[in-house]
Amino acid sequence: MAKEYDTFVETLADLKEGEEIELSIRNLENYEAQNVKAIVYSSKENLPDGDTLWIRFSRGVKHKEPWAIKIIEELPFSII
Amino acid sequence: MAFNDFREFIDKLEKEGQLVRIKQEVDWNLEAGSIIRKCEETPDGPSPLFENIKGYPKGYRLLGDPFSSGIKKAAIAAGLPADMPYVETHKAMMDLWDEGLANPIKPKIVKSGPCKENILKGDKINIYNFPALMLHEGDGGRYIGALHTTVTKDLDSDWVNWGCYRIMIHNKNTLGGFVGPQQHMASMFSKYEEKNMPMPFATAIGTDPIVQAISFSSLPYGVDEADVAGGIRKQPVELVKCETNDLYVPATAEVVIEGHVLPNVRMDEGPFGEYSGYRASPRAPRIVYKIDCITHRNDPILAAVCEGVPITASHTVQSVGWGSGIRKALRDEGLPIVEVNLVPETALFLCIVSTKVPYCNIAERIGHIIFGCKAGTYVMKVIVVDDDISPYNLAEVFHAFATKCHPVRGTHTSPYATGNPLIPFQNLEERLWSKGCRVVYDCTWPIDWPAEIAVPPRSSFNSIFPKHIQEKVLANWKNYGFKD
Repeated sequence: MAKEYDTFVETLADLKEGEEIELSIRNLENYEAQNVKAIVYSSKENLPDGDTLWIRFSRGVKHKEPWAIKIIEELPFSII
Repeated sequence: MAFNDFREFIDKLEKEGQLVRIKQEVDWNLEAGSIIRKCEETPDGPSPLFENIKGYPKGYRLLGDPFSSGIKKAAIAAGLPADMPYVETHKAMMDLWDEGLANPIKPKIVKSGPCKENILKGDKINIYNFPALMLHEGDGGRYIGALHTTVTKDLDSDWVNWGCYRIMIHNKNTLGGFVGPQQHMASMFSKYEEKNMPMPFATAIGTDPIVQAISFSSLPYGVDEADVAGGIRKQPVELVKCETNDLYVPATAEVVIEGHVLPNVRMDEGPFGEYSGYRASPRAPRIVYKIDCITHRNDPILAAVCEGVPITASHTVQSVGWGSGIRKALRDEGLPIVEVNLVPETALFLCIVSTKVPYCNIAERIGHIIFGCKAGTYVMKVIVVDDDISPYNLAEVFHAFATKCHPVRGTHTSPYATGNPLIPFQNLEERLWSKGCRVVYDCTWPIDWPAEIAVPPRSSFNSIFPKHIQEKVLANWKNYGFKD
């Protein structure tokens, strides 16, 4: 069963589709923060084995359609 | 007689009909928050005590906003009768705050206390073991600090600050939070950060209600909230030393989180539905707390406010605490003010003051004293009315505002004031940099107007009829056929 995550962005352009990117996401089971290396797509069709990635803008407004995410690597929980 | 702990206060709220025990399972993820919010939006409604929180052991409970939706519960917290009229209660509470500040009582240090019943360090630290709520849909995370007292100490003196600054969970032992740039914790932290030193902190959740209430206050720089809380309680607050640092916390607290704020480190925190009634500030890099230890009572009772549109605990209690500070600042300057109402319904952005008018433009002076004092940090609008109008009578105030305040001569703006990232009317750049603007509305009659010809007589029952006619009408009111 696909897991659900979300991430916060200023604009959708912050998310580069199809490229390996480092991203801070939240596991929606308990809202724990995770830093990951992942590939994201706006369409689930491009990542059929991916998990669900909800997108929220900086004041919490939810983007209406979920994206897809494939986590390549969990990065250490580093403090920036 | 002051309450000894959170549990005594909860029992009293229940006896006064101000609490509902919810035994049905409630989800920490939005359901509990929405119940608290509904209670906050119900005038003088009871507070919810969640006794069965999804995924948490029996006995782990959470009290939703114990001061919400009116002043009754705050009155109970202060030991005042719950059935006193609002205005009397509000004034009595402001007087209590004044007395506490004027007659502080130092805390009593005790060797141990109920908060030490369980001590968790090292691998046993996992903040997710406590039912922190996901309060609003779209918040940046679960907030373990949504009604609490965070203790920090000044680096250069013995000054200890208590404050309530929102705290979000990043992971099991890392928290993040928002602290406004003008707040005392921020000024303390800047000293540590300049020297690249971690700042010890301790956050107490579920304390006696005066400890909680004073943590919302805005006391002058250098004043210990613990001493003022003792003054209000008329007996000292009992404090116990932390396990991992030299701070002291209320001995009866339900949960204590000890740790340190990391210097020169920021992580994205928020957004959060705030006391302004909006989620105005974005997710942004903010301070980071590392947890070193958690202590708690058996079967702990946490607490949370679901901030938003008034009236929540913040609005009720800060209306008293900040209001008394503003009143004191004005009195200390010798101004002939009569009453001050920092209006809870306006999320504390509007303060109304009634005054005698011995000289021209006193309204502007009142406004600038408010804007310049600590308790007025977040007041953006001031309405000044003559002394024949009560600032608590909002109908009369709005009538005066609409009819007596000249749109040009009566409006005094301060366009380059300090602001606050949480203020909705500021644009994005102003919120980012805390750039504000403030305004005073002068609703008094100008004293240089000839009273006999320029000041319009007020046409109300109390002012436009002769006294003997008023008395006759009142004496005969029932005879005319009216009920009351």
